[in-house]
Amino acid sequence: MKHVKYFLYGIILSIAIASCTEAVAHEMLPTYPKMEASHIKDVYVTTMRMFNKRQEVEFYEIGVFDEDWKPIPFVTSYSVIKIEYLGRVEFDLYIRKSDVDKAEYICSKSKLRKQNEIVTAIASRICSRIK
Amino acid sequence: MKKLSIKVATMSLAAAVCNTTALAETVPITGMVESRCIIQTDTPGIYGNPSAYTLTTDPTLGGVPAIVRIDVTLADAYYAAITAPTEFSSSPNLPDIVTWVGDTEVEAMTDAAGMGNYEADKVEYNYTDRYDLTATGSTWFKTTSEATLGGTRPFPGGNYTALVTAECIAK
Repeated sequence: MKHVKYFLYGIILSIAIASCTEAVAHEMLPTYPKMEASHIKDVYVTTMRMFNKRQEVEFYEIGVFDEDWKPIPFVTSYSVIKIEYLGRVEFDLYIRKSDVDKAEYICSKSKLRKQNEIVTAIASRICSRIK
Repeated sequence: MKKLSIKVATMSLAAAVCNTTALAETVPITGMVESRCIIQTDTPGIYGNPSAYTLTTDPTLGGVPAIVRIDVTLADAYYAAITAPTEFSSSPNLPDIVTWVGDTEVEAMTDAAGMGNYEADKVEYNYTDRYDLTATGSTWFKTTSEATLGGTRPFPGGNYTALVTAECIAK
Protein backbone atom coordinates (compact mmCIF):
# COMPACT_ATOMS: atom_id res chain seq x y z
CA MET A 1 0.00 0.00 0.00
CA LYS A 2 2.87 2.29 0.93
CA HIS A 3 4.56 1.60 -2.43
CA VAL A 4 1.36 2.43 -4.29
CA LYS A 5 1.20 5.75 -2.43
CA TYR A 6 4.81 6.61 -3.43
CA PHE A 7 4.07 5.52 -6.99
CA LEU A 8 1.09 7.88 -7.17
CA TYR A 9 3.15 10.72 -5.66
CA GLY A 10 5.79 10.00 -8.33
CA ILE A 11 3.24 10.24 -11.11
CA ILE A 12 1.81 13.51 -9.75
CA LEU A 13 5.31 14.96 -9.39
CA SER A 14 6.26 13.91 -12.93
CA ILE A 15 3.12 15.52 -14.36
CA ALA A 16 3.84 18.70 -12.39
CA ILE A 17 7.44 18.84 -13.63
CA ALA A 18 6.39 18.10 -17.20
CA SER A 19 3.71 20.77 -17.15
CA CYS A 20 6.19 23.28 -15.71
CA THR A 21 8.89 22.64 -18.25
CA GLU A 22 7.00 21.98 -21.46
CA ALA A 23 5.06 25.19 -21.84
CA VAL A 24 7.97 27.43 -22.71
CA ALA A 25 9.51 26.31 -25.97
CA HIS A 26 10.38 27.79 -29.34
CA GLU A 27 10.67 25.54 -32.37
CA MET A 28 11.34 26.09 -36.09
CA LEU A 29 11.41 23.54 -38.90
CA PRO A 30 12.83 22.30 -41.18
CA THR A 31 16.39 22.21 -39.89
CA TYR A 32 17.79 22.05 -43.42
CA PRO A 33 15.43 23.94 -45.75
CA LYS A 34 15.94 23.72 -49.49
CA MET A 35 15.46 26.75 -51.75
CA GLU A 36 13.41 26.00 -54.85
CA ALA A 37 12.38 28.05 -57.86
CA SER A 38 9.19 29.97 -57.18
CA HIS A 39 6.42 31.10 -59.53
CA ILE A 40 8.28 34.43 -59.85
CA LYS A 41 11.21 34.63 -62.24
CA ASP A 42 14.65 34.71 -60.56
CA VAL A 43 13.17 34.30 -57.09
CA TYR A 44 13.58 31.23 -54.91
CA VAL A 45 11.28 30.09 -52.15
CA THR A 46 11.20 27.78 -49.17
CA THR A 47 8.52 27.05 -46.59
CA MET A 48 9.27 27.25 -42.88
CA ARG A 49 7.17 26.18 -39.95
CA MET A 50 7.19 27.54 -36.42
CA PHE A 51 5.59 26.48 -33.18
CA ASN A 52 5.28 28.74 -30.16
CA LYS A 53 5.08 27.22 -26.70
CA ARG A 54 6.38 30.34 -24.99
CA GLN A 55 3.42 31.90 -23.25
CA GLU A 56 5.22 35.21 -22.68
CA VAL A 57 6.20 35.57 -26.38
CA GLU A 58 3.83 36.48 -29.19
CA PHE A 59 6.17 37.74 -31.89
CA TYR A 60 9.15 36.21 -33.69
CA GLU A 61 11.47 38.08 -36.03
CA ILE A 62 12.74 36.31 -39.14
CA GLY A 63 16.22 36.92 -40.53
CA VAL A 64 18.36 35.49 -43.33
CA PHE A 65 22.16 35.59 -43.06
CA ASP A 66 25.24 34.59 -45.01
CA GLU A 67 28.05 32.47 -43.57
CA ASP A 68 29.57 35.56 -41.91
CA TRP A 69 26.21 36.42 -40.31
CA LYS A 70 25.69 39.42 -42.55
CA PRO A 71 22.01 39.99 -43.38
CA ILE A 72 20.68 38.89 -46.77
CA PRO A 73 17.57 40.54 -48.28
CA PHE A 74 14.50 38.34 -48.24
CA VAL A 75 10.74 38.62 -48.33
CA THR A 76 8.12 37.04 -46.11
CA SER A 77 4.56 38.19 -45.53
CA TYR A 78 5.80 39.90 -42.34
CA SER A 79 9.36 40.09 -41.05
CA VAL A 80 7.95 39.92 -37.52
CA ILE A 81 5.42 37.11 -37.29
CA LYS A 82 2.74 36.88 -34.65
CA ILE A 83 2.25 33.38 -33.25
CA GLU A 84 -0.27 32.78 -30.51
CA TYR A 85 0.67 30.62 -27.55
CA LEU A 86 0.57 26.96 -28.68
CA GLY A 87 0.03 28.19 -32.22
CA ARG A 88 1.67 26.95 -35.42
CA VAL A 89 2.57 29.12 -38.37
CA GLU A 90 3.76 28.15 -41.82
CA PHE A 91 5.27 30.84 -44.02
CA ASP A 92 7.02 31.14 -47.37
CA LEU A 93 10.36 32.88 -47.52
CA TYR A 94 11.60 34.32 -50.83
CA ILE A 95 15.20 35.11 -51.77
CA ARG A 96 16.49 36.58 -55.04
CA LYS A 97 18.44 34.28 -57.32
CA SER A 98 21.46 36.59 -57.00
CA ASP A 99 21.43 36.10 -53.20
CA VAL A 100 20.40 32.50 -52.94
CA ASP A 101 23.93 31.09 -53.10
CA LYS A 102 25.09 33.45 -50.36
CA ALA A 103 22.17 32.71 -48.02
CA GLU A 104 23.28 30.27 -45.34
CA TYR A 105 20.99 30.63 -42.31
CA ILE A 106 17.30 31.31 -41.76
CA CYS A 107 16.72 32.39 -38.20
CA SER A 108 13.76 33.17 -35.97
CA LYS A 109 14.24 35.20 -32.81
CA SER A 110 11.75 35.78 -30.02
CA LYS A 111 10.72 39.37 -29.42
CA LEU A 112 10.13 40.08 -25.77
CA ARG A 113 7.90 42.73 -24.31
CA LYS A 114 9.23 45.08 -21.67
CA GLN A 115 8.98 43.35 -18.31
CA ASN A 116 8.09 44.97 -15.03
CA GLU A 117 10.33 42.97 -12.75
CA ILE A 118 14.04 42.82 -11.96
CA VAL A 119 14.74 39.81 -14.15
CA THR A 120 16.99 38.30 -16.75
CA ALA A 121 14.61 37.42 -19.54
CA ILE A 122 15.58 34.78 -22.11
CA ALA A 123 15.60 35.55 -25.81
CA SER A 124 15.62 32.44 -27.98
CA ARG A 125 16.90 32.18 -31.54
CA ILE A 126 16.81 29.11 -33.80
CA CYS A 127 18.70 29.06 -37.08
CA SER A 128 18.11 26.54 -39.84
CA ARG A 129 20.82 26.00 -42.42
CA ILE A 130 20.00 26.19 -46.11
CA LYS A 131 21.07 23.12 -48.07
CA MET B 1 -40.77 -16.95 -30.64
CA LYS B 2 -41.46 -13.25 -30.18
CA LYS B 3 -39.00 -13.21 -27.26
CA LEU B 4 -36.36 -14.86 -29.41
CA SER B 5 -36.88 -12.22 -32.15
CA ILE B 6 -36.46 -9.41 -29.63
CA LYS B 7 -33.26 -11.02 -28.32
CA VAL B 8 -31.83 -11.39 -31.82
CA ALA B 9 -32.74 -7.77 -32.66
CA THR B 10 -31.13 -6.52 -29.44
CA MET B 11 -27.95 -8.49 -30.11
CA SER B 12 -27.81 -7.21 -33.69
CA LEU B 13 -28.18 -3.63 -32.46
CA ALA B 14 -25.43 -4.17 -29.87
CA ALA B 15 -23.16 -5.67 -32.51
CA ALA B 16 -23.81 -2.69 -34.81
CA VAL B 17 -22.98 -0.22 -32.02
CA CYS B 18 -19.78 -2.11 -31.19
CA ASN B 19 -18.82 -2.16 -34.84
CA THR B 20 -19.42 1.59 -35.14
CA THR B 21 -17.32 2.19 -32.02
CA ALA B 22 -14.54 0.07 -33.45
CA LEU B 23 -14.62 2.15 -36.63
CA ALA B 24 -14.44 5.38 -34.63
CA GLU B 25 -11.33 4.12 -32.86
CA THR B 26 -9.40 3.69 -36.09
CA VAL B 27 -9.36 7.40 -36.95
CA PRO B 28 -5.67 8.06 -37.64
CA ILE B 29 -3.54 10.75 -36.08
CA THR B 30 -0.74 11.57 -38.43
CA GLY B 31 2.58 13.12 -37.57
CA MET B 32 6.06 13.44 -38.95
CA VAL B 33 9.30 13.16 -37.02
CA GLU B 34 12.00 15.55 -38.18
CA SER B 35 15.34 16.51 -36.78
CA ARG B 36 14.85 19.55 -34.65
CA CYS B 37 16.17 21.77 -31.92
CA ILE B 38 13.85 23.13 -29.28
CA ILE B 39 14.80 25.92 -26.90
CA GLN B 40 12.99 25.73 -23.59
CA THR B 41 13.12 28.66 -21.21
CA ASP B 42 13.33 26.64 -18.02
CA THR B 43 13.98 29.39 -15.46
CA PRO B 44 14.07 33.10 -16.25
CA GLY B 45 16.67 34.47 -13.86
CA ILE B 46 16.13 37.08 -11.20
CA TYR B 47 18.61 39.70 -10.03
CA GLY B 48 19.23 40.00 -6.34
CA ASN B 49 20.37 43.37 -5.03
CA PRO B 50 22.89 42.55 -2.27
CA SER B 51 24.45 46.01 -2.29
CA ALA B 52 23.30 49.37 -3.62
CA TYR B 53 25.60 49.19 -6.64
CA THR B 54 25.31 45.45 -7.51
CA LEU B 55 22.69 43.32 -9.22
CA THR B 56 23.51 39.62 -9.31
CA THR B 57 21.89 36.27 -10.11
CA ASP B 58 24.07 34.58 -7.44
CA PRO B 59 21.66 32.44 -5.35
CA THR B 60 23.63 33.13 -2.17
CA LEU B 61 22.99 36.84 -2.69
CA GLY B 62 19.29 36.64 -3.39
CA GLY B 63 19.38 36.04 -7.13
CA VAL B 64 18.31 33.21 -9.41
CA PRO B 65 20.44 32.17 -12.42
CA ALA B 66 18.70 31.80 -15.78
CA ILE B 67 18.38 28.21 -16.98
CA VAL B 68 17.76 27.24 -20.60
CA ARG B 69 17.07 23.71 -21.76
CA ILE B 70 17.92 22.72 -25.31
CA ASP B 71 16.50 19.51 -26.79
CA VAL B 72 17.92 18.03 -29.97
CA THR B 73 16.64 14.98 -31.81
CA LEU B 74 19.52 14.58 -34.24
CA ALA B 75 23.09 14.11 -33.06
CA ASP B 76 25.85 16.36 -34.34
CA ALA B 77 23.47 18.69 -36.21
CA TYR B 78 23.45 21.82 -34.03
CA TYR B 79 25.54 24.27 -32.06
CA ALA B 80 24.10 25.94 -28.98
CA ALA B 81 25.28 29.45 -28.22
CA ILE B 82 24.31 31.06 -24.93
CA THR B 83 25.13 34.73 -24.39
CA ALA B 84 25.06 36.37 -20.98
CA PRO B 85 23.68 39.92 -20.77
CA THR B 86 25.93 42.88 -21.59
CA GLU B 87 23.33 45.62 -21.18
CA PHE B 88 19.93 46.23 -19.69
CA SER B 89 17.07 45.98 -22.14
CA SER B 90 15.09 48.22 -19.81
CA SER B 91 16.20 50.26 -16.82
CA PRO B 92 15.94 53.73 -15.36
CA ASN B 93 18.51 56.33 -16.53
CA LEU B 94 21.86 55.28 -15.12
CA PRO B 95 24.38 57.83 -13.82
CA ASP B 96 27.49 55.79 -14.71
CA ILE B 97 28.84 52.90 -16.77
CA VAL B 98 27.79 49.37 -15.84
CA THR B 99 30.41 46.61 -15.66
CA TRP B 100 29.09 43.20 -16.61
CA VAL B 101 30.29 39.76 -15.58
CA GLY B 102 28.57 36.69 -16.99
CA ASP B 103 29.17 33.03 -17.60
CA THR B 104 27.33 29.93 -18.79
CA GLU B 105 27.86 26.32 -17.78
CA VAL B 106 26.17 22.98 -18.32
CA GLU B 107 23.85 22.42 -15.37
CA ALA B 108 22.41 18.99 -16.23
CA MET B 109 22.05 16.55 -19.10
CA THR B 110 20.05 13.48 -20.04
CA ASP B 111 22.99 11.53 -21.46
CA ALA B 112 26.06 11.73 -19.26
CA ALA B 113 28.13 9.55 -21.58
CA GLY B 114 27.37 11.49 -24.74
CA MET B 115 27.19 14.98 -23.26
CA GLY B 116 29.76 14.74 -20.48
CA ASN B 117 32.40 16.61 -22.47
CA TYR B 118 30.19 19.55 -23.48
CA GLU B 119 31.52 21.84 -20.76
CA ALA B 120 35.18 20.96 -21.36
CA ASP B 121 34.86 21.34 -25.13
CA LYS B 122 32.92 24.60 -25.20
CA VAL B 123 34.30 27.64 -26.98
CA GLU B 124 34.08 30.94 -25.09
CA TYR B 125 34.07 34.24 -26.90
CA ASN B 126 33.42 37.36 -24.83
CA TYR B 127 30.06 36.69 -23.17
CA THR B 128 29.06 33.86 -25.52
CA ASP B 129 29.66 30.18 -24.80
CA ARG B 130 29.28 27.88 -27.79
CA TYR B 131 28.59 24.17 -27.34
CA ASP B 132 28.77 21.47 -29.99
CA LEU B 133 25.64 19.35 -29.47
CA THR B 134 27.04 15.99 -30.51
CA ALA B 135 24.41 13.82 -28.80
CA THR B 136 20.62 13.64 -28.84
CA GLY B 137 18.68 14.56 -25.73
CA SER B 138 18.26 17.50 -23.40
CA THR B 139 20.91 19.75 -21.91
CA TRP B 140 20.31 22.41 -19.28
CA PHE B 141 22.53 25.50 -19.42
CA LYS B 142 22.85 27.83 -16.44
CA THR B 143 23.76 31.48 -17.03
CA THR B 144 24.91 33.75 -14.24
CA SER B 145 25.12 37.51 -14.54
CA GLU B 146 26.33 40.36 -12.41
CA ALA B 147 26.04 44.10 -13.07
CA THR B 148 28.02 46.66 -11.09
CA LEU B 149 27.45 50.37 -11.44
CA GLY B 150 30.62 52.43 -11.83
CA GLY B 151 32.03 54.49 -8.98
CA THR B 152 30.20 52.30 -6.50
CA ARG B 153 27.18 54.50 -7.07
CA PRO B 154 23.78 53.10 -6.13
CA PHE B 155 21.49 51.81 -8.86
CA PRO B 156 18.52 54.20 -9.16
CA GLY B 157 15.21 52.74 -8.03
CA GLY B 158 13.16 51.15 -10.81
CA ASN B 159 12.76 48.05 -12.90
CA TYR B 160 15.70 46.36 -14.58
CA THR B 161 15.63 43.71 -17.27
CA ALA B 162 18.55 42.10 -19.08
CA LEU B 163 18.44 39.45 -21.78
CA VAL B 164 20.14 36.08 -21.94
CA THR B 165 20.18 34.94 -25.57
CA ALA B 166 19.94 31.22 -26.28
CA GLU B 167 20.63 30.17 -29.86
CA CYS B 168 20.41 26.87 -31.67
CA ILE B 169 22.26 26.96 -34.97
CA ALA B 170 22.18 24.16 -37.52
CA LYS B 171 25.64 22.97 -38.58
